[in-house]
Amino acid sequence: MDFKHLASKIGLDDEDFMELVELFITTTLSDLEKIKQGVAANRIEDVVASSHSIKGAAGNMGFDDIFTLTKKMESESKAGSLENFDAYILDLENQVMEITTN
Amino acid sequence: MGNTHPYTVLAVDDNLLNLKLIEKSLSKEGYQIFSADNGPDARSIALEKLPDLILLDIEMPVENGFDVIKKLKEDAATNAIPVIFLTGVSEVDSKLKGFELGAVDYITKPFHPQEVLARVRIHLKLSIATNSLIQDQAAKLRQVTKAQVAMLPLPEEYPTAKFGVYYRALQEAGGDFYDILNISEHITGYFVADSSGHDIETSYMTASVKALLAQNCIPVYSPAESMKMINDVLVEILPQGKYLTACYMHINRTTMKLTIINAGHPPVVCQPVKGEPFLIKSQGDVCGMFSDAHFGIKRINVSRGDRFFIYSDGLVESAENKITWASGADSLLPIYKTLVGVPYGKAPEEMISQLFGNDTYPEDDIVLLCIEV
Repeated sequence: MDFKHLASKIGLDDEDFMELVELFITTTLSDLEKIKQGVAANRIEDVVASSHSIKGAAGNMGFDDIFTLTKKMESESKAGSLENFDAYILDLENQVMEITTN
Repeated sequence: MGNTHPYTVLAVDDNLLNLKLIEKSLSKEGYQIFSADNGPDARSIALEKLPDLILLDIEMPVENGFDVIKKLKEDAATNAIPVIFLTGVSEVDSKLKGFELGAVDYITKPFHPQEVLARVRIHLKLSIATNSLIQDQAAKLRQVTKAQVAMLPLPEEYPTAKFGVYYRALQEAGGDFYDILNISEHITGYFVADSSGHDIETSYMTASVKALLAQNCIPVYSPAESMKMINDVLVEILPQGKYLTACYMHINRTTMKLTIINAGHPPVVCQPVKGEPFLIKSQGDVCGMFSDAHFGIKRINVSRGDRFFIYSDGLVESAENKITWASGADSLLPIYKTLVGVPYGKAPEEMISQLFGNDTYPEDDIVLLCIEV
């Protein structure tokens, strides 16, 4: 993932962008935790809200893959379906990891 | 919004990353950013900091963006602050609702910081332009007030008219007006009017009436004839639905005769040099409405030292206490009695301070003339 490119795309310098990336990772991991708990306890509203939150942040940062994934998670959970979530959660964890190690 | 202070933007979003992103991109361009991640905090910051613009997310838990903007628009302190909504791309209803509630624009999410910046810039520019327009207009109105006050004759300019006055206009263009006319060496006319409005048109009317008085209050016309002429011209020039209540008092200090022409105005108070104060009531049509208007006319003989009070309804009318001049005028009679020892030049001010005290203010425009024969 080319952070320099993403930073210039949204008009920030690298340092500011990195600060936001760190914030993104922290908030996304916390939202991801809420999604896991929500799926386990079948609390659909929590899953919807946390997916929505990650989606918004990812969209603005230019993390398009995470945006597309969480958009799907939000709309499916809104429709009451959590059946694909084990796969989604795994996918999301990998993508966040990829950002972390970048 | 001076040049020395940075423009301030309040960003409201429950998503911390979005808040931070907005903060970073706007502060880089010189804006000062306040941020809130929930509705109640947003409202209290808006009230305390009065930002130049607000970026408001719609979808927030507990109190959403719609609730926030509704409350901001209800409060006079925050109602003029432009609000830009942050909304999801597909939510057409949200966008419409946002505009309906008074938002100036929306930004769809995910947003690009450069777009946020561009929209903030546009709306700040618009808001600056609107504010300066309002300030220009207020400055012009203040000039009108000055011109209007300059048209009012001062007691020291008319020593032979022997009058004192209290005048106060609540709005920039007051509806109350008075004039003094030196008709001849011993004959003086006193005119008090209250027009049905407080707008700019009203203040132009003041100038017209002053000109009409100067043209028509002359020795060849009786007071009733003067008022009739003025009425007929006003019927022609006043906008539909506008009128004056007016009182014209004419004193001849040689024959010691006084004439009052009343056009729907509160009654004149007479405080004789000896005796109790009383009202001089006379029915009459208002001025400037009907070409065949009929005014109340009273003629009385007067003595040196008798005093007359002419005033506008603001003196005796109180919307708050539901008093109208029909009942209010009577209830004020005892006060005139206490003014007997006060010089006529000071009597109006003394009357106002007795009525309203020194810190409460009248609810309406007020003009009060005290005239001594």
